[in-house]
Amino acid sequence: MTATTETTVPRSRRRIDGWRWAGRIFLVLMLLYTAVPMVWMLLTSIKSGFAAMQFPPQWWPTQPTLASYQKLLDPQNSVGQDFLRFFWNSLFVSFCTTILAVVVAVPAAYAFSRFRFPGRKFLFFSVLLRNMFPAVIFLVPLFILMRVLGLVNTHGSLILTYLTFGLPLAIWLLKGFYDNIPIQLEQAARIDGATRFQAFLLIVTPLSVPGIIATAIYSFIGAWNEYIYAATFITKNDQLTLPVGIQRFFSENTTDFPGLMAASFMMSVPVVVLFLVLQKYFVRALTEGAVKH
Amino acid sequence: MTALTGPAVAPRKTTRTREPGTLQQMWTSRADYLYVLPAIVVMLVVIAYPIYYTIELSFFKTPPGLQLRDKIFVGTDNYTAILTSDVFWRVTLNTAIWTFASTLIAFVLGYGAALALHRDFAGRAVLRAILIIPWVISAVAASYIWKWMYHSDFGVIGAVLVQLGLTDRQPNFIDNVHTVLPSLIVVNIWREFPFAMIMVMAGLQTVPEQLLRAAKVDGASAWQRFWHVTFPHLRGVSTVTILLLAVANFNSFIIPWIMTGGGPSNASHIWITHIYELAFGRQRWGVAAAYSVLLFVILMVLGYFYVRALSGNESREQGA
Repeated sequence: MTATTETTVPRSRRRIDGWRWAGRIFLVLMLLYTAVPMVWMLLTSIKSGFAAMQFPPQWWPTQPTLASYQKLLDPQNSVGQDFLRFFWNSLFVSFCTTILAVVVAVPAAYAFSRFRFPGRKFLFFSVLLRNMFPAVIFLVPLFILMRVLGLVNTHGSLILTYLTFGLPLAIWLLKGFYDNIPIQLEQAARIDGATRFQAFLLIVTPLSVPGIIATAIYSFIGAWNEYIYAATFITKNDQLTLPVGIQRFFSENTTDFPGLMAASFMMSVPVVVLFLVLQKYFVRALTEGAVKH
Repeated sequence: MTALTGPAVAPRKTTRTREPGTLQQMWTSRADYLYVLPAIVVMLVVIAYPIYYTIELSFFKTPPGLQLRDKIFVGTDNYTAILTSDVFWRVTLNTAIWTFASTLIAFVLGYGAALALHRDFAGRAVLRAILIIPWVISAVAASYIWKWMYHSDFGVIGAVLVQLGLTDRQPNFIDNVHTVLPSLIVVNIWREFPFAMIMVMAGLQTVPEQLLRAAKVDGASAWQRFWHVTFPHLRGVSTVTILLLAVANFNSFIIPWIMTGGGPSNASHIWITHIYELAFGRQRWGVAAAYSVLLFVILMVLGYFYVRALSGNESREQGA
């Protein structure tokens, strides 16, 4: 018995190294898979239209130019006007959605975490079930609904719909967060004479700020990237959001690949920056909320 | 934790002992409902009403302009039209391949990346951030980036293959019936594996360090430690992640729609893009609605497992 353990110890040590190397190689491959498309997007965006359409391709742009970005950001020409307007529309819609999602999700998540009212479980899961259904199922009836409410071609229609598909995960994340805040804090506040709502607003809410930030990021990114409702509810050019606007624009200019890549890059910058700055809250919320045992 | 289980258990006992309790209890906890009311109202307007409407539309033939007053009752004609069409089976097979392959590969890659990133090394935070970026980028942008990389004349992937001498001329990835679906799946996985990675990374932090150390002391190999300690601990997270990925893939739309629009000859149509085309392209509202109802039934089955996996997590958490 002792003889076998003696032989397995060095073997297992060698094996650990094997796994470590496998992990490193795997990470390098994943890095390539992840980064190459993004790098190629950037490299293409600083080429001229002529330089982008060559075979074999210019692996590195010989004459880098920022012309595509200048065109998109120049309010003087029509392309720039459109792009900036789409950008602003996206920003407005995403911002409103985020604020509303937080305002609606915070009390709901708190109630699902703390209160034990009848039907709590049913309501919680019916909220979660919303995530199951694709946008397409809701498109036609929602389009009719928006027509009835007079919201077609307004940003209100988008904000209302984005709110609902952001809510389920927001509530789920926040509920996990509230579950981890000790109830004694509120009990102490109640003993000191605070009402239940005051305890919620003044004691618990400040403690859940990281969870709220995670919720806000999620809502913002979801709204910023949404395509299908925006493509259906909005037909007026000056109300379009970025994803649809870019699609409409480049279905007319199919060969302007540097412009398309520059636009894709600019569309990605706000959400990527937002996420990278605040990612620790997001990962933390997932750790504490969604996946704890 | 015990403080939380306290109130969770107490009212449940009272409902069991007192018979007319539920209504009374609803009344006494009426203020509680105010907290969830906004969420419920929004959900009702935007979910319950559309579901009802879709079911109704699926039994009618509605004129192309969606004039609801002129719709004609046609019974189950829309459903028979779907089930007898060839496109239906083609699209269903595509959807199955798309959902299964995307979910499985994205999960395995995400799981592997999370495990490999679990160990501390220089540059780990940067690497993790880079790997997450595709998940944050808009699917529309991702579709255009990959469409450009797949381009049949100037695509960089084809150019690399030609330079390496693997093919004579630029392969046509997305205009080819055989390669279009795998090519799109690669794009989809690119966007989705980070999600699996984040979930598993979060799950890995709950694996007790002492257990792993004890296993190491007892001479367990790296693989044994993973298989007997880490893997069972991640089962809950894994189930939820796989289900969420499966649902998301089943429902995906943007990548196939922007990149190919379902073509060539339906080779990359999946259910959702097909429904969209039927409704907004050909304005066959009734058939599209009937498709949605069928989809709905499938999703309910998936949803049953989803809820069961989630409530499994919840009861475990309350038991702990």
